[in-house]
Amino acid sequence: MLLNRLVQAIPIMILATFLVFSLLQLVPGDIATTIAGENASEERIEEIREQYGLNQPFLIQYGNWLLNAVQGDFGKSLLSGEPVLETITRVFPNTLFIVIYAVVLSVVIGLPLGILASSKPNSKLDGAIMGFSSLGVAVPNFWLGMVLVSIFALGWNWFPATGFVRPGESFTSAIWFATLPAIALCTNGIAEVARQLRSSLVEIHSSQHVRTLHAKGLSPTAILWKHGLKNVSVNLLTVISLLFNKALAATVVVETVFAIPGMGNTIVKAVLEGDFPVVQGAVLAMVVTVIVVNLVTDLLYTVLDPRIKQV
Amino acid sequence: MKKKDNPVVAEAEGFTLRRREFLGMLTGVAAVATMAGPSALMAKVMDNGGILRVGAPANPSSMDPATGGSGSDHVFLFPVFATLVEWDYDTLKAEPGLAKSWEYPDSKTLVLNIREGVKFHDGTELDAEAVKFNLDRSRTDPRSNIRSDLASVEKVEVTAPHEVTVHLKSPDTSLPLVLSDRAGMMVSPSSIKKFGEESDRNPVGAGHMKFVEWNDGDRIILERNPDYWNKERPLLDGINFRIITDSSTRLRSVMSGQNDVAYQLEGRQKPLIERGGSVEGVYGATVYCFQIYLNHASGPLSNVKVRQALNYAINREALVRASMHGAGEPAYMNLPSSHWAYDADVAELYSYDPDKARKLLAEAGYPDGIELDMRGYNDQGSVQRQEILQGMLADVGIRGTFKTGTVPDMSAAYFARGEGDFLVSAWTGRPDPSLTYALLYAGDSYFNAGKVEPPEGLMEAIRASRSTADLEERKKAFSTVQRIVMENALVVPLAFREDIMAAVPKVENLQTNLLGKPKFKHVYLES
Amino acid sequence: MTTHALDMAVKEDSLFSKFGQWCRRDKRGSASLLVLLVIIGIAVFAPWVAPYSPTEQDYSKMLMEPSAAHWLGTDDLGRDVLSRLIHGASKSVYAAFLAVGIALLIGVPVGLLAGFLGGWVDVCISRVIDTLLSFPAIVLAVAVTGAMGIGLTNAMVSVGIVFSPHIARLIRARTLVVREELYVDAARCFGASTTRLLVRHVTPNAIQPVIVQCTLLLAVALLAEASLSFLGLGVQPPEPSWGQMLARAYMYMEISPEQMYAPGLMIMVTALTFNTLGESLRVALDPTMKGL
Repeated sequence: MLLNRLVQAIPIMILATFLVFSLLQLVPGDIATTIAGENASEERIEEIREQYGLNQPFLIQYGNWLLNAVQGDFGKSLLSGEPVLETITRVFPNTLFIVIYAVVLSVVIGLPLGILASSKPNSKLDGAIMGFSSLGVAVPNFWLGMVLVSIFALGWNWFPATGFVRPGESFTSAIWFATLPAIALCTNGIAEVARQLRSSLVEIHSSQHVRTLHAKGLSPTAILWKHGLKNVSVNLLTVISLLFNKALAATVVVETVFAIPGMGNTIVKAVLEGDFPVVQGAVLAMVVTVIVVNLVTDLLYTVLDPRIKQV
Repeated sequence: MKKKDNPVVAEAEGFTLRRREFLGMLTGVAAVATMAGPSALMAKVMDNGGILRVGAPANPSSMDPATGGSGSDHVFLFPVFATLVEWDYDTLKAEPGLAKSWEYPDSKTLVLNIREGVKFHDGTELDAEAVKFNLDRSRTDPRSNIRSDLASVEKVEVTAPHEVTVHLKSPDTSLPLVLSDRAGMMVSPSSIKKFGEESDRNPVGAGHMKFVEWNDGDRIILERNPDYWNKERPLLDGINFRIITDSSTRLRSVMSGQNDVAYQLEGRQKPLIERGGSVEGVYGATVYCFQIYLNHASGPLSNVKVRQALNYAINREALVRASMHGAGEPAYMNLPSSHWAYDADVAELYSYDPDKARKLLAEAGYPDGIELDMRGYNDQGSVQRQEILQGMLADVGIRGTFKTGTVPDMSAAYFARGEGDFLVSAWTGRPDPSLTYALLYAGDSYFNAGKVEPPEGLMEAIRASRSTADLEERKKAFSTVQRIVMENALVVPLAFREDIMAAVPKVENLQTNLLGKPKFKHVYLES
Repeated sequence: MTTHALDMAVKEDSLFSKFGQWCRRDKRGSASLLVLLVIIGIAVFAPWVAPYSPTEQDYSKMLMEPSAAHWLGTDDLGRDVLSRLIHGASKSVYAAFLAVGIALLIGVPVGLLAGFLGGWVDVCISRVIDTLLSFPAIVLAVAVTGAMGIGLTNAMVSVGIVFSPHIARLIRARTLVVREELYVDAARCFGASTTRLLVRHVTPNAIQPVIVQCTLLLAVALLAEASLSFLGLGVQPPEPSWGQMLARAYMYMEISPEQMYAPGLMIMVTALTFNTLGESLRVALDPTMKGL
C-alpha cells in the first residue's frame, strides 16, 4: 500500500521537475549575464555560457540537472554561490515552523467555531461565525499582516514587527516572533475548518443514526465527541492538508511583510534578482512538500477510515 | 572587460569638507568627549565591547574583496579585511593602515612600508610578499573584478621583508586611496591557495573581526580577532549582520530591539527615527549621486538641446523632498556642494525651468514632445524615484514608460548592449574626481553607454587635473571639466544621498563616513 | 420548428422569472451581484468617476490626511488616494478577468481534448493536471512571472496558466460523461461532425459548474494580483492597482498607516463579493437543486 503510493508519487515528482524546469526556461533575461555580474564583457558571458552548459539543447540541460538533483545537487546561487540545497535546508524549517503554527491555530480556533456554529444552525451565532469565515477567506493575508504589524507591533509593541528566531535557539522567542505571521496566515484555515466542520456536523446531526442516539438519551456533547467528530475526522483531514498547502503558498507574500528568512522570501528575492537555480530548487522543494503532504494524507485516510483500504 | 564597476556600486571619493564638519560645529562638545574618551574608556570596554547586531541592506555578492562586484559588500568586508591605507571618516583623506607609511620617490614609483608583526586570521604572516601576492592577484587574476583599479600599476616588487615598491605606467597620485578600498584589502595568501574559487565564501583577512558564518540573504556572523594588530581601541566581541533588504523592515528591527544598528535607511524614515525614543539617528552626507545616464549616440538625445531640456525639466528640490524626504542634496553636477572641487557657477546652469525645457524641445524640432525608452531598476525606492521623474518629464512633453529589472540585468542591457535611451541609476564616486569623470565620459568607457567621443577639451582638462598635486590648480581644472560636462548635458545629476543610520542608545562611537559605507571598528556597546 | 420557437420563448421567460425568483430567495447572492456591478461600473467608468487624475503628482500635498478636497487623503507623491483607488479598481478587476479568461482559454480545449480522445492522451494530460494542481499556485505564479518578465499582463497570464488545470479538470470530467452519451448520438445521426456535436453537448452540460468555478477563481485571481503587485511583479507605476498601492503603503507604514486601509478593504470586499456570488450560483445552478 505504502510502496504503491510512493511509486505513484515518483512520476508526479519527475513531471513536476520537468514542468518547473521548462517554465523557467522562458526566462527572457540571460542567465549567463546574471552569473557574470554587472558590466561583464560579452566574451566573459560566452565563457560562462560554455562553462554552465547553457548552450546545450534543452533536454540535455534538463537531464543533467535532474541527474544532479537526484544526488542532492541543485546547483549554486548565481549571485552568492551558496549551494541551493544548503539554502533550502536552512530556510525551509523556518517556513515549516510558521506554516505548522498557522495550521495549529486554524484548527484550534476553527474547531470550536465550527462546533458552535453547528450547534444552532441558521441562528444568529451561526450567521456571525459563517460571516467571519467568509471574511477569513477573502482577506489578503499580507494585508492582514500589515494591519497586525501596524497595531500589535508598531502601535502596542506586543510583538516584534519583523524577524524570526529559530525554534532551536529559543522556542519561546520563536513562538513570540512567529505569532503575527501565523495569525496572518491562518484566517483562511480557520474559515475552512469552521465551515467544513459545521457542514459535516449539521449533516450528522440530522442523520438517522444520531437521532436514534439522541432518542436513546445520550447528551448532545457525548454524541458529538463519540460519533460526530470521529466521523468528520476524514473530512477534517482533507481540509487540514489542503490548508497546509495553501498556507505554504501564502508564505511567499507574508514572509516578505515580516522579513522572515524562509522559502517564500527566498523565492521572491531570487525571482526579482533572476537567480534561476534558487528559484528552481525552492519551487521544487515546495512542490515536493505538497506532494508528500498529500501522500501522507492519503495514508492517514486508511488509518482513520479502514473502509477506504478496500476501494 | 573594460570596466568592472557598477554605477550604483562604484567607489566614493574624498578629500572633502563635508556636511559632517559643519555638523561637527554643532556637536563639538560631544565630539570632543568621544575623542578624548577612548583612552579612558578603553580599559573598561577593551575586553567587553559586546556583540553588535546590525541590520544590513543586502546580501554580499562575495566575501572575497577581489571577486565581489557590489558596493554594499564593503560593510561586511571592512571588519574582516584590514586595508593597506585607511581614510579619515569625514574627509576621506588617506591615513596609515597596514601600510604605516608610503612615499613617491619619483612620480612613477610608490613605496609602501608595511607594518611588522601583523598576522592573518589563519596565522599567515602579513609581510611584503603577502602584499605583493594580493596586488598581483587583484590586477591579473581572471576572477578579479578590480583589475582596472590597479590599471596604472606596471609591476609590484618586494624590496625588503616589509617594503613593497609599486612601479607605475604613468603618474598616479590617486593610488594610495585606491589601496584604502577593495584593492587594499589584504587576503591571506594561504587561504587563497587553500580555497581557490571557494575564497568567495571563506574570507580570511587581518581585520579586527574573524569570519564565522554566512547564511545567504539571512546573516553573517563575525567574531573578534584577538590578535588584531591595533590593541589601542575598544573591541567588539563580534558583529552579527542580519540581511534585511527592505529599509522599513530594517528600521523596524532596530525599533523593536532585534538589532542594534541599521544603516542605509531612507530619508522618509528620518522623522520616524527622531520621533521614537528607542532609537537614535546618525546622519552624514555622502558622495553617492543618483543620476540619469544618457545614451546620446542616436535618437533625440543626440541633440544637446534635448539633453538640456531633460536637465531643466527636473525639479530636484521636489525630488529630494518627495523621494528622500529632504535627506539629500539636489545635484547639479557630479560633486556635492561640500566637495573641494565644487564649482558654484556650474551649479547655477540648470535651475528648474519647465518652460525653458519645452522651448528647448521645440527648438530641437520636437514641439510635440518626444517618446523615450526609459530604463530603471525594480526595487521599491527606484520605482518611486522613476515614478516621480516620469511625472516631471511628462510635464514638459518627454513621455515614455520605464522598463525595469534587476541591477545586473538592466546595467548589462544599458551599458554593455546599449539598449534604452537612458538609465536611472547612481554613481557612488571614486577616490579622485578625475577617475569619476574619466570613467563616466571617456569615449571608450563602459559607463559611456553610447560610446560617444567626449566633447572637445574634456579629456585634456581631466589630464590636467592629474598632472598636479596643487589643490587650487586641480580645482580650476575640475571647474573646466564640470562646465564642459554640464553645458553639453552629458548626464542628468539628480541628488546626493545622505547616509542615515539608526541605533539603540547603548551603541557608542557610531559614525557615518563620506563613502556611505559604515565601518564598525570604533564602535562598542555600553555594558 | 414552431414547437422549437415556442420552447425557446418559454425558456427565456422562465429564465427571466427564475432570476427574479432567485433575487427574492437569495438576498445575499443578489446583494453581492449588486455590489459587484457597482465595482465593475466604477472600474469601467473610472476616468469619469474619479475626482482627480490618478497620476498627477503634487509635492506640496504629500501624505495628507483625509479632507473635504481629498476624501481619502493623498499618497506619498501627493496624489489623490480616492482617485487612485477608483482607477485601481479597473486594473484589479481587469487583471482578475484576464487571469480567468486565460485559464478558460487553456483549460477548456485541454479538458475537451483529454475527455474526448481518452486513452494515453487523457492519461498524460490528467497527469500534468494533477501535477499542476499540486503546485502551490501563487508560488508558481511568482516564478513564472519572474521568467516571463515583470508586468501586469504577464503576471495575470501566469496566474491564468496556474488556474487552467482547475478548468481543464472540470471540462474533462463533463466531457467524459457527454462522450458516453455521444456514442449513442453518433450512431443515431451519422455524418454530423463530432467536434460540433461535442461542443454542442458539452457546452450546456459544463457551463454551469464552469461559471461557478470561474466566479470563485475571480476572487483568487484578485488576491493573486494584489500579491504579485505587492511584490513588485504586477502593475508597474505610475498605473495604480490595489496591490501596488499596498506596496507603497507598506513603505510608509509607520508615518502614515492609514494609507493601507482603503486598498486592503477594497480587495477584501471585492473578493468577498466574488466568493459569495460564486456560492450562491453554485446553489442556484446546481442541477440537483433545479427542482427547488
